Amino acid sequence: MKFSETIQKLDRRYIYIIVALAVILPLVFPLGFQTYMTTPVENLYVHIDEAARKDNKVILLDFAQAPSTLPELYPMDIAILRHCFLRDIKVFTISYFPQGAAIMEMALAEVKEDFPEIKPNVDYCNFGYRTWGMRLPIILGMGDDIAKAVETNSEGAMLENLPIMKNIKNYDNIQVIVEITGSTAGLTYITYARGKFGADVGVGVTAVSAADLYPYLQTGQLVGSLGGLKGAAEYEELVETFAVQDIEFSKKNARDTKWRSNQFKLSEVPYKYKKARIGMDAQAVVHVLIILFIIVGNIGYFLDKRKTKQKYVK
Amino acid sequence: MKRTIPLLIVMTLGFLFVLHVFIPSKESVEFFDWFMKWIKVIGPFAIILGIGSLLMVHGNKIKRKAPNWGYSIVTIVALVITTLTGFIWGIQEGTPYMWIFKNFNVPLGATMFSLLAFYIASAAYKAFRARSIEATVLLAAAIIVMLGRVSIGQAITHWIPDITEWILNVPNLAAKRGIMLGVGLGMTATSLKIMLGIERTYLGGGKD
Repeated sequence: MKFSETIQKLDRRYIYIIVALAVILPLVFPLGFQTYMTTPVENLYVHIDEAARKDNKVILLDFAQAPSTLPELYPMDIAILRHCFLRDIKVFTISYFPQGAAIMEMALAEVKEDFPEIKPNVDYCNFGYRTWGMRLPIILGMGDDIAKAVETNSEGAMLENLPIMKNIKNYDNIQVIVEITGSTAGLTYITYARGKFGADVGVGVTAVSAADLYPYLQTGQLVGSLGGLKGAAEYEELVETFAVQDIEFSKKNARDTKWRSNQFKLSEVPYKYKKARIGMDAQAVVHVLIILFIIVGNIGYFLDKRKTKQKYVK
Repeated sequence: MKRTIPLLIVMTLGFLFVLHVFIPSKESVEFFDWFMKWIKVIGPFAIILGIGSLLMVHGNKIKRKAPNWGYSIVTIVALVITTLTGFIWGIQEGTPYMWIFKNFNVPLGATMFSLLAFYIASAAYKAFRARSIEATVLLAAAIIVMLGRVSIGQAITHWIPDITEWILNVPNLAAKRGIMLGVGLGMTATSLKIMLGIERTYLGGGKD
């Protein structure tokens, strides 16, 4: 078989083996690539961080996700919750997906391990699972009265009786709604919570949906966004650099990789707080590999095309 | 009657909601709030309907011993066990429901999605060809964005992330906005056709 034919007809199982190695090896032996910062992630970090300086402001986290998107979205859940708990920012969590509710429980339990002083219904409140059909009435209802719209927390306690609800009435008390989603990309919140009540909305999405957000980011309908594993890695890094060290955010420092790497040692960071950054090593290698595949595949295609043309001329 | 009554409900409610949005009044707000309460009642019934439909479809498959009927047994058993554990012990961390979720649902879901990486790599090798100018532009943009979204791109030159951001912020944004406007206009036109009774396929077949 000729070279060009060999390239064109390469058994796809070889490709699968190479991809598997390209994913597994960097996860086992991290390469330590530094993530650079992007504006949408910095904006979301700053917007959430501002709640620490304001009275009666909470963050609403909507877990619109399923296990299939866990590798990309779960590090975002963990990083945002950690940021809020570190900076004493009150958090509400809700999910309209049955599986999202379980992920929410998992994320809260995982981050809470390191914050024994954080109390449920005082520092955060888990609203639990609500059916998809209830989504619109709740999103619209929260514009008037959160306690009336949601009614109970995940354990069935009436919201109006919980200490966290003191001085919290409606979207005026929500610093930003962050929907971490594998599908809806915050559109319902943009249309109703922002359109009708002026609430600030941010999102965390899988990489395939990230390109869809740019029109909303440009108009300011989204205050910021996390796109895929890279977005999660950037947020992890910002939390590690500023919130953990108790330093005020500075764009200049955030973009200075040398300065950032002097603030902490990644090897000392618990695994659960650096999952996205480790994952980015594998993603970087796979991206390069796919580019090589495209180039090699095209070389085979053009060689084959030239040969066919020569044959035809003869 | 089977088609006329649903048609009348759609037309009446459709126009009432349009009026509520464009000409809000005390009455329309009250009507809207009242209707939202009804949605809260309809929601749980939809779940019952969904479970009923699932049981019927898979029950029939098992009864007829249709191809792959064994998977239907797995579906029903999984539904019953997961629901029961959730009802009896709750869904908090440390409950049997959470154990099932972490040990079955999470690995299965993550496995399905991670297969995508292999298919994408294979498709990139086998199908992503510079056959035309348009395909070549797409290919070049894809390579730059793929490099620009990972740290290797910046290690090569800071131009790669900068060009990536430009591609996402300018041509991508323009194309996305154009598509969104088109979809929005299409949705408005289809909604109007439904409300005016021109589009009736959603009612299904059968006689009036």
